Amino acid sequence: MIRYIIKKELKEIFRDGRFKISAAIVFLLALVAFFVTFKQYKNTAAQYNEAKVNERKVWESQGAKNPHSAAHYGNYVFKPKSPLSLIDQGVDKYTGVSVFLEAHNRNEAAFSDAADQTALSRFGALTPDFILLYIIPLIIILIGYNIFSKEVEGNTFFILKSQGVVGWKLFVGKWLAALIPTMVIATVLFAVAAIALTSLNDFGLFEWKEIFALYFVYLLYYLIFINVVLFISSKVKKSGIALVINLVFWVLACFVAPKVASNLADAKYPYPSHQEFNEQIANESKQGLDGHNPWNEESQKLRLQILKEYKVDSVHKLPFNFNAFLMQKGEEYQAQVYAKHYGLLKEKAKKQGGVYKSLSSISPFLPTRFLSMAIANTDYESHWAFTEAAEEYRVGVQRFLNGTTEKNAKYNERYVAPADTWSKLEEFSYESPTFTEVYKQNTGVFSVLVIWFVLTAALLFFTNKKY
Amino acid sequence: MFRYNFKYELKSLLRSRWLLLLSLLLLIVVLFAGYNGKEKVNERVKQLDKVVLEANTNDATMAKVLDSIEKGLQVSINPRRMPNAPMNVAYNYPRVAAIPAAPLTFISTGQSDLFTHFIKPSAYGDSFSLDYSELANPIQLLFGSFDLSFVIIYILPLIIIAFSYNILSEEKEYGSLKLLASQPISIYQWILQKTALRFFWLTLITMAVITITLLIFGYNFSANFLAFLQLVSLVCAYILFWFTIVLLVNLVINNSAKNAVSLLAIWVFVILIVPAVVGQLANSFYPIPSRTKMITEVRELKEELSSKQDKILDNFLRDHTEYASKDGNNNYSFWHKYIASQELVEEELKPLISSYEDQLTKQQDWVRLWQYSSPAILMQQSFNNLAHTSTSHYQSYRNQVFKFSKEWRNFFKPMLYGNKNFTTKDYKELPSFKYKAPKNNLVLFKVIVLLVFSVIFILIGRQVYINKIKKGTVIS
Repeated sequence: MIRYIIKKELKEIFRDGRFKISAAIVFLLALVAFFVTFKQYKNTAAQYNEAKVNERKVWESQGAKNPHSAAHYGNYVFKPKSPLSLIDQGVDKYTGVSVFLEAHNRNEAAFSDAADQTALSRFGALTPDFILLYIIPLIIILIGYNIFSKEVEGNTFFILKSQGVVGWKLFVGKWLAALIPTMVIATVLFAVAAIALTSLNDFGLFEWKEIFALYFVYLLYYLIFINVVLFISSKVKKSGIALVINLVFWVLACFVAPKVASNLADAKYPYPSHQEFNEQIANESKQGLDGHNPWNEESQKLRLQILKEYKVDSVHKLPFNFNAFLMQKGEEYQAQVYAKHYGLLKEKAKKQGGVYKSLSSISPFLPTRFLSMAIANTDYESHWAFTEAAEEYRVGVQRFLNGTTEKNAKYNERYVAPADTWSKLEEFSYESPTFTEVYKQNTGVFSVLVIWFVLTAALLFFTNKKY
Repeated sequence: MFRYNFKYELKSLLRSRWLLLLSLLLLIVVLFAGYNGKEKVNERVKQLDKVVLEANTNDATMAKVLDSIEKGLQVSINPRRMPNAPMNVAYNYPRVAAIPAAPLTFISTGQSDLFTHFIKPSAYGDSFSLDYSELANPIQLLFGSFDLSFVIIYILPLIIIAFSYNILSEEKEYGSLKLLASQPISIYQWILQKTALRFFWLTLITMAVITITLLIFGYNFSANFLAFLQLVSLVCAYILFWFTIVLLVNLVINNSAKNAVSLLAIWVFVILIVPAVVGQLANSFYPIPSRTKMITEVRELKEELSSKQDKILDNFLRDHTEYASKDGNNNYSFWHKYIASQELVEEELKPLISSYEDQLTKQQDWVRLWQYSSPAILMQQSFNNLAHTSTSHYQSYRNQVFKFSKEWRNFFKPMLYGNKNFTTKDYKELPSFKYKAPKNNLVLFKVIVLLVFSVIFILIGRQVYINKIKKGTVIS
């Protein structure tokens, strides 16, 4: 029985010009989106590699120099692109790709793509995630909005009943009929992406389980949509109205909910402005140890303490360079201040994340969006992971440079390190969070998505008894 | 006939509670959007006020110290902040260069969430690489803000579609179209009037809602009436555009479910696909050169120049003989070298830096050209312009700040190289920054374009109707 229903529905769907046209448009758009994203990815990856090599060359060829001058000269680290950003670019457009690491300062990642583009890019770009998140649900609506209501409108419902159709079988048949074309479209798109990713070497390493997880998340998202669309179709007698209600749901879930969530999150836990944030840090830094100023109150305290510790009466007699030691202590203090304030900012980001997550219960779009970005390593968390790794490296660089002076020079002597010093500094390497870490971080969001599915399925199942 | 139509439409709208529901829905949504926008603007104004106040306090202290020094009194101040040395003032007492909020800023977030709205360019640092980015949660930037421009561009057309997708087809499906056709009236006239009336009511409600929102959020109508008129005429034209689309689809397709699907497809195409494609093409045709490459080039150049600072200063003084010391005193400080080499750095990097701005300008020109391909782009551009949050506003702001920071440095140059003190008189002549918004008075033209679109659709609709009459397929 179910087989016949599926067969009949599929025949109808595929016969329908609207489905054919829209499916063709989706594939065309997806093709363009993949192509464009792919080109961009290759470009960025090439730039990244070139910049990374150049940067290291510039750093190593500084020549003989005072290590603290080198610290001020600083170095740049660049954020690598994750392979799955080919499918979901996430917040990549809005976060910078390079961080300047220098003495005394922790800098933000600079140069986001969005700042270099026109306001039009805020409408959304033609990327695979746009198609997966917005357009395919629309196709589902197109397939399913009249799947029950057409039987009522065409009075074929009586005929169906007279054939002795069992309610749940009809329901399962229609549900599967809506699912199959969606599955086909999604599977083809993911297969193409997977082939593109495996066939190219410059895409870095990606794990199969990541792409499967992504595929699974999107399938859940589509299942939720199918449930909702079929529910509306079964409740509303007129196809036109069913379509309008479906559309309202789509707009609310995909457009309105994220925007409202972002406004609520910002209103509840506002970020400080750049200016304010920097000021707070500057004020707190002033109160502590200043590595450049030996007459600073904290520096004096440290000097006395060290003299006492080493049982000498002058810093000249210390077995190491006290200037560099002081500089390092100042650096450590400053790093602490930065860590504290960035910690507060991260706390705020987490709280905002909490608002988004709690609002995930009003729209299946939100948990899908977050999971998709998380798996693709293009979410805010992975950006944090990168900037934190950069900061850790910066602190390490300062320790290395101050340590070089500390070991090799006497107090109040201007030390010039030999030209080969710089290549001894370890290179920056960054590993994005692994799949297991991402999974652990996102179990909450994932369960929201599963609950969405279970609830909508239950709703659909229990309200369909009359068939 | 018009009178009957008017009465009937009003009655049926009131009876179905559509009008009431619609007004209420629109009011809530628009108020919420306005509130979001206003909150952001208030925060921006508050921050700017704070910064200006702080700068003014600093200035007042400086003026007082300066006065004391000139009177020969003893002052206790950190020597690095001593205001009689010109470069101390140039470095420690920068002006606030701000882009103030316009009266309509709250209607459209535009690019305002990406950039900071004030910056303090001092004599130190590269005026081309000032950091204009604002600290923001990127998720918020990704999702965007629920503002008035979103409601009007995205939601309003959907309301129109939901409201009137079956305006003609319903009559046909109920069989009442035959009844109508038997009356001595033209069906075309009738449907045209019906659409016009709905357009009239929706426009009236929207205008009322927008006016109420502007009133609540303290918009000064008398001072900014032109901007209000521009906003209102744009919204009217946009509503008209969508109503003519609805009319056309009703005439061409005339089946409720199919109407709804087609209208939805048009909505997706006009509002999602076309802007995304135009934007993507802008980025592909005029890509911004690699920023990472810029970083490397700037550093390489600076490193090269810093090793030759003494020579650069020599050359600089040879070119600017007016700055060379007359009494043979060659005791040049850090600032002497810095300013001279900075001039060279900016000169050398000018082509590189302007390549970024040029590409961005080209992208904007492209978007400006193709904005007519989708009313959504056209509306977004116009709203951002009215709100002073468009790309070109921020670009112009950056250029103005760049010029100003040069002016600021140049103001101190003669004092620095002439070994002159900074005085109260100089203080009064300090250059100050005033943002000038770029001109754009193309709103009328855009409204006309929208009207032309609408007229074309009406004419096409008419032709379709005439053809259907000839074939006899209007009612059946």
